[in-house]
Amino acid sequence: MTKTSFSRRNVLAGLGATAGLLAAPHIASAQASAGRVVVIGGGFGGATAARYVKLFSPDTDVVLVERDATYITCPFSNYVLAGIRDLNSITHRRDPLRQRFGVRLVRGEATAVDTNARSVKLKDGASLPYDRLVVAPGIELNYAGVPGWSEQAANTVMPHAWKAGPQTVLLRKQLEAMADGGTVIIAPPANPFRCPPGPYERVSMIAWYLKNHKPKSKILVLDAKDAFSKQGLFMAGWESQYPGMITWIAGKDGGKVESVDPKGMTVTAGFGKEKGAVINVIPPQTAGRIALDAGLAEANGWCAVDPASFASRKAQNVYVLGDASIAGAMPKSGTAANSQAKVVAANIAASLRGVTAPTAVYHNTCYSLVTPDYGISVSDTYRPGPQGVAVVPNSGGVSPARAEAAQRKAEANYTMGWYAGIIADTFG
Amino acid sequence: MPFRIHILAVALVLTAGSAVAQQRIATLDDTALAAQACNVCHGSQSYLSPTMPPIRGVDATTLYTALIELKTDKRPSTIMGRISRGYSDEQLKALADYLSKN
Ligand SMILES: Cc1cc2nc3c(=O)[nH]c(=O)nc-3n(C[C@H](O)[C@H](O)[C@H](O)COP(=O)(O)OP(=O)(O)OC[C@H]3O[C@@H](n4cnc5c(N)ncnc54)[C@H](O)[C@@H]3O)c2cc1C
Repeated sequence: MTKTSFSRRNVLAGLGATAGLLAAPHIASAQASAGRVVVIGGGFGGATAARYVKLFSPDTDVVLVERDATYITCPFSNYVLAGIRDLNSITHRRDPLRQRFGVRLVRGEATAVDTNARSVKLKDGASLPYDRLVVAPGIELNYAGVPGWSEQAANTVMPHAWKAGPQTVLLRKQLEAMADGGTVIIAPPANPFRCPPGPYERVSMIAWYLKNHKPKSKILVLDAKDAFSKQGLFMAGWESQYPGMITWIAGKDGGKVESVDPKGMTVTAGFGKEKGAVINVIPPQTAGRIALDAGLAEANGWCAVDPASFASRKAQNVYVLGDASIAGAMPKSGTAANSQAKVVAANIAASLRGVTAPTAVYHNTCYSLVTPDYGISVSDTYRPGPQGVAVVPNSGGVSPARAEAAQRKAEANYTMGWYAGIIADTFG
Repeated sequence: MPFRIHILAVALVLTAGSAVAQQRIATLDDTALAAQACNVCHGSQSYLSPTMPPIRGVDATTLYTALIELKTDKRPSTIMGRISRGYSDEQLKALADYLSKN
């Protein structure tokens, strides 16, 4: 690997008060001396960042601010819709971060960031000072981006289920209540958005449920886009596993949704009006609200970062990662957020000691199930480049178009292993 | 010589009574950082994946041979061929060495 610009002299000088750690590595981490790090958001990005700052720099005081008591993962929430997982099995606690790694957990909502004074304000009035801040709030849904739709409509009749939780349960209940022979409409947004293959895995998993329980039903995908992630693999999978059930209409063919009517349960797209028994609207998105309020976002609603470190382009000593960031070629995925978080943690550990950080390398693998025994994937390695984070040439890519059932089954097994692994790596 | 540069001697040691995490980062260099990506699927010392082969502590030559065979399609795989093509042979060698020891 490339030579780092770390040097022993630098490191020892940088370690300063903590140099004794080298000789006596069992100094309790409570003796905070190598800076204060605040992390906003305890999802895949923020929780991983908090954990890995502690791993790379145990004497740093790390505070993780998160508004929700538990974390319900979007990954595998499509399997809840299919009835092959329950919500409980995708709900996780963050306590191991405290118990095993010494991260301080603060339950609350960050409402403002003062990047000059370097402090984070919480809803309850408390304020948290920081030397380095990590902002990983995920996404904000743009309800106004779909005319006729609203937060209230989403909570009652036309769920997005793009943040896992009550909306996932609502969508599942609607599928269960639907009569055999109904049409499920799924409306994915234009790029960029959280989890590019997610809507199409959702189509597959809803098809799995319908095939087994309501085989006369149909799925209509009204897309704002003309192409989508792993398209060839998904479409071949749909044809072989769910023949005749799924219709996908590209944006250019009139698929883009122009408005919805939650009362009449209709969707108007370029090609005309369609009634749905179940309607899943996946709206356009931006970075999480706190990133916007803190002035970290560009006009397009996403946060520009240095591709070598994910340091904010807008504020010093602030890092933005995960879905909220503009990560070049990397998709908005949990695996990508976890990978970016490790680079951020290394940069924070190094910068607090005044030494140069290791060279960034990023990784993403997104598995999707077409059926519970039929997995496909996209996987890439990335490095920082002049135009942003870029795929390493001649590497990565998607599962082969033609594969034996055994390969699809192996990828389905690996999907399960990936999930267990990333949960362990993120939350301890 | 990144392996000789001890950046942060880290043992995760927590306040009395709490469990001691087993994962250790003896050095934080390019290879140590890159190797953390493997944890997501293969696990770390403190976690073993139910469906992926363990790689931590495996003999360096065995790991390196496997990675090169995956990279050159000599060994069939689902995604490791695609992943190993993201690294030079030297980087894979460094990763194999690191994983065998950490
Ligand atoms: C249906 C679906 C399937 C998916 N499947 C996969 C998959 O198979 N593989 C994969 O890698 N990815 C998948 N994803 C994508 C993945 O869920 C996201 O990319 C990932 O969650 C992004 O991580 P994050 O840390 O940026 O944001 P999040 O995981 O959303 O975490 C943000 C956290 O910040 C908290 N927060 C926000 N604002 C504040 C505030 N002001 N104060 C305090 N706390 C705050 C939130 O409560 C939340 O816990 C899927 C997504 C969907 C919708």
